[in-house]
Amino acid sequence: MNKYDIVIGLEVHVQLKTDSKIFCSCSTQFEAPPNTNICPVCCGYPGVLPVFNQKALDLGVRVGLALNCQMNEKIYFERKNYFYPDLPKNYQISQYKMPLGENGKLQLPGGKKIGIKRVHLEEDAGKLIHSINHSLVDLNRTGIPLLEIVSEPDIESAQEAFDYLTQLKLILQYIGASECEMEKGLLRCDANISLKPKQAKELGVKVELKNMNSFRGVRDALSYEAKRQEKALEENERIVQETRLWDEAEQISVSMRSKEEAHDYRYFPEPDLLDFKVSKDCIESQKDFVGELPLKKRKRFLESYGLSEKEVDIIISNLSIADFFEESCKEFNEPKKIANWILGPFLEQVNSLADKLNEVKITAPNFAKIVKLFCEGKLNNLTAKRVLSLALTTNRDIDEIIEKEGLVQVSSEDELGCFAKEVIKENPKPVGQYKEGKEQAIMFLVGQMMKKTKGKANPKIARQILEKILKESG
Amino acid sequence: MKDLTFSTGCAIAQNIKDGKVSPDEAHSFFKERIKKLDPQLKSFVEIYPDPLKEEGASALAGAPIAIKDNICIKGKRISCASKILSSHISVYDATVIGRLKRAGLQIIGTTNMDEFAFGSSTENSCYGTTKNPWDFSRVPGGSSGGSAAAVAARLVPFALGSDTGGSIRQPASFCGVVGFKPTYGRVSRYGLVAFGSSLDQIGPITTNFSDCAHLLNIICGHDSKDSTSTPKDVVDFTQALKDEAKNVKIGIPKEYFAQGLNQEVKKALDSVIEVFKDKGAKITEISLPHTEYAVATYYIVASSEASSNLQRFDGIRYGLRAAGTNLKDVYMNTRGEGFGDEAKRRIFLGTYSLSSGYYEAYYVQALKVRRLIKEDFDKAFNKVDVILTPTSPTPAFKIGEKATDPLSMYLSDVYTISANLAGVPAVSFPCGFSKDNLPIGAQLIGKEFDESTLIRLGYSFQNVTDFHKKIPAL
Repeated sequence: MNKYDIVIGLEVHVQLKTDSKIFCSCSTQFEAPPNTNICPVCCGYPGVLPVFNQKALDLGVRVGLALNCQMNEKIYFERKNYFYPDLPKNYQISQYKMPLGENGKLQLPGGKKIGIKRVHLEEDAGKLIHSINHSLVDLNRTGIPLLEIVSEPDIESAQEAFDYLTQLKLILQYIGASECEMEKGLLRCDANISLKPKQAKELGVKVELKNMNSFRGVRDALSYEAKRQEKALEENERIVQETRLWDEAEQISVSMRSKEEAHDYRYFPEPDLLDFKVSKDCIESQKDFVGELPLKKRKRFLESYGLSEKEVDIIISNLSIADFFEESCKEFNEPKKIANWILGPFLEQVNSLADKLNEVKITAPNFAKIVKLFCEGKLNNLTAKRVLSLALTTNRDIDEIIEKEGLVQVSSEDELGCFAKEVIKENPKPVGQYKEGKEQAIMFLVGQMMKKTKGKANPKIARQILEKILKESG
Repeated sequence: MKDLTFSTGCAIAQNIKDGKVSPDEAHSFFKERIKKLDPQLKSFVEIYPDPLKEEGASALAGAPIAIKDNICIKGKRISCASKILSSHISVYDATVIGRLKRAGLQIIGTTNMDEFAFGSSTENSCYGTTKNPWDFSRVPGGSSGGSAAAVAARLVPFALGSDTGGSIRQPASFCGVVGFKPTYGRVSRYGLVAFGSSLDQIGPITTNFSDCAHLLNIICGHDSKDSTSTPKDVVDFTQALKDEAKNVKIGIPKEYFAQGLNQEVKKALDSVIEVFKDKGAKITEISLPHTEYAVATYYIVASSEASSNLQRFDGIRYGLRAAGTNLKDVYMNTRGEGFGDEAKRRIFLGTYSLSSGYYEAYYVQALKVRRLIKEDFDKAFNKVDVILTPTSPTPAFKIGEKATDPLSMYLSDVYTISANLAGVPAVSFPCGFSKDNLPIGAQLIGKEFDESTLIRLGYSFQNVTDFHKKIPAL
């Protein structure tokens, strides 16, 4: 791709984290049985009227601020008119001329800034379920508050699009505006891509890509499309302005509709809603929720905790883990050790939980205590992990677990001496090997010690004692 | 049984309170009258076998009322006199219906109208034309023609109508009753099937101002389900039931007395001016210079909103569904069969006005003129307290007379439309009869939220005249 510049702009829709829908009081709960979170308003029955959910405005403002947008003081909604069975009123209440925020920017970890053209609020449509000879409509999703975030065409590669999405998701999760789970449909992304010869001022003909189900899908679709367009340009073919669907299974894009078939949405101001003033108070109060954004946190963690980039990236990829890490460090100021235990045993155990982090109950002080006991040699690797697993989803008292489960590490020479003698007696073969100079054999004997003490032996001391006895016995 | 034909709603409620008439007797009386007279008049769409009533207290408790067929009543058919909705049962009560029920009124049935309130004659109804009770060869006006005709014929003491461009006032004028359009935002629109959302208001049709004030007391007030409903406090309108017109400044807009005004109507209006002069009111000529643009402005704004509001009638979720081999056919066949000619005409008009390329020239331009019309009123109300005009240029016209000439039909609303565009309250009341014994109506237009002055002047007028006591010979 040396002859051409790639020009990409992304349109992202995220579901804002509200309890109720944007224009009625129906629940936004995910995976409810079809058509149970509905009412006359979101079903578009005759005579109903929308009432705007203030929480959606608050979250929208929060996102706008986090993306450095200029927030418009007065906003209003408009109707986007088109017929489709998943759209009960056959118009979508959206924003057009006066969006919530404009002219923002998002910084990528590498330092490059991507312009944010606009963020605006709108209602989601329903879901169609197609069968062979009929289609069904589920309106649970109708009226869910969405924020559309439109980037400027500043993105120059498929990988950069991927990085943009990753960073955007992180920001939205940090500020509590959206869960951003693409598999639940909480984040959707359409992409516009065109190619132009290097140094050319004018942009090429753009193609819109839809139907990507993951960030990786977006990257793959864009890579494919860039190559397809390059090939077409090389062969002097005309690029058609069109919408193409990404086929994940086949890893190709296919044409859906051309511009000639494009809709005239006949936008006009929604007469059922008044203009809204976005008050200074609203903006100020939302600023408090924005807090430290991921890139800043990343920089600070790198500077203050002596961790590697890779470690920091994993820790900051989730705000609750980042917070958990910092709180733990306050209790036991060994950041490297805390990080090792979070990235190791903690995440390992969390990932085996059905509901992941949501099930975690252990507090940072209790977690820090386990790490501390391990570092002090009062718990060994095995017992510390066992204590963690018992406290992870219960937050049981650590001392109580250790005592009840009898996990106090055995370090006393007397106690271990007895076990060592037994092990030597029961394992003449490894003992013989050791005495013949096969130092490795000692590890087997240490293992036997651990077995006998049900994992409670301090392995270091157990080894010392074994070595001592074996030497003494010549 | 006591003859209630000449009883006002207030009087019936008082009789019930005093134990002279039972609520059932009151209902039976009017039901019998409807049975006898409505087969020719055709003012009702549905007469409930049993009235809808709840325990409730108010000055009108127990009085029967009829409802225009575009206001939702839970469990009852709502059709808007359109084939497209004719089988639809409402799943909820409009806010005004809840208010009437809580005030103890008996809802006895629904009244005929122009389809979706599109019209000025009630000829555009899928149930056929309602007759003018004063002359069966003439129209009752529209779109609330059923409500006005039923009240004029004393088939019910009062009814609710809706007014988008004169749909309460013009039929009230044609039928010789009082029709009141409150300030936009006074009465909740929740449950009123929308025509022109920024213009629609529900209002009472009564025989006299006392009933009118009491009904307004019941239906006005803020509703959290309607964002355009005003949070302003509602005064007790019955406090305005006083014969007091001294020093009230009444403006006579010269544009409303220019060419096109029937001489008999003009004469009747002159006598109204004399009555108010006698009572000590100050009469001033004023100008509303943008009046000539009102009809054009209205038909763009109202039709644009209507074209979008009516998109929900698509055969997918409720109402008529015509067969079709694909989605587009289902849409086209359903809407083709379901909508009448006038509805289609307005949908075309509105869709055109909102289309890309025409939007600025039509819709945006209309909004600008609308603002000028509003400013005309603001300026006028700096000088006068209230404006007096004819309600309609002529008395009731013949059935079929204008049915094939939409433009002349549209022009019959020339005096009523501006009040909707400006959002101000207005009322039509009977002020005379033509030589053919057809009622003539006068219109009072008030300042925003100043319904009281209109009630006071209307009450004063009725205190010294008896046009409102005349009943058509049936």
